[in-house]
Amino acid sequence: MKIAKNPHTNPTSIKTRFALRFLRAINKLSNDNGTSPRPLNSADRRKRCRAIRAASYASMASAVGPNKAWSRAVLRKIRNRTKEMIKPRTRRGAARGSMNPRKELGLGQEKELRELVPGGEAMDFRRLLNETGHYIQCLRAQVQVMRKILHYSST
Amino acid sequence: MSSRRSSRSRQSGAARISDDQIADLVSKLQQLIPEIRNSRRRSDKVSASKVLQETCNYIRSLHREVDDLSDRLSELLDSTDSDSAQAAIIRSLLM
Repeated sequence: MKIAKNPHTNPTSIKTRFALRFLRAINKLSNDNGTSPRPLNSADRRKRCRAIRAASYASMASAVGPNKAWSRAVLRKIRNRTKEMIKPRTRRGAARGSMNPRKELGLGQEKELRELVPGGEAMDFRRLLNETGHYIQCLRAQVQVMRKILHYSST
Repeated sequence: MSSRRSSRSRQSGAARISDDQIADLVSKLQQLIPEIRNSRRRSDKVSASKVLQETCNYIRSLHREVDDLSDRLSELLDSTDSDSAQAAIIRSLLM
């Protein structure tokens, strides 16, 4: 998934940018499956469901670009996961983010939020709030576009 | 990775959030979280803890929606051929 070069000079909305990337990804997925028999067995369907979900998050992170910490964290995670699939090795520091109690300000919910927002463990609290707001708006856009796709596909 | 970077704001030793940060919380998230927006209009006494909790719940529910929609899209791809799926997506972009 290519990252847009200049997200802020691009006038198209986040929804359009997301939809285009998502379209490409779904297209690729359905072409790759062209040779396998339909309907897919349940294992393959689960696999494709996960692939679609991953493509959805990746497309949104790519549409947002590298200017937000959360989108960078998502893209980084995807790249690392791809690298690990190509060259399997033991995962170091996978739980590092969650073992940092000193970043807490004493609220259980803050810790919870840090776990929900990508890259949340490494931010100070003010930035976490900022990133959360943007992340929520993008999640909503993501859901709206996906709903639309479903809607127009079933009519 | 970034363990050294943002240690300054942690050293304040405060166990509670400052008023400044509460104001940030309230303004941003209050508008975004339907739960809070609908039940309290312009209340300045929204507890930070409640806002954070509702935010977490909302994000989780959005994640679940993405899961569910991915599942349905996957079934859709299964049952239609790729051309009509593409056509549907293009229509959804144009409308």
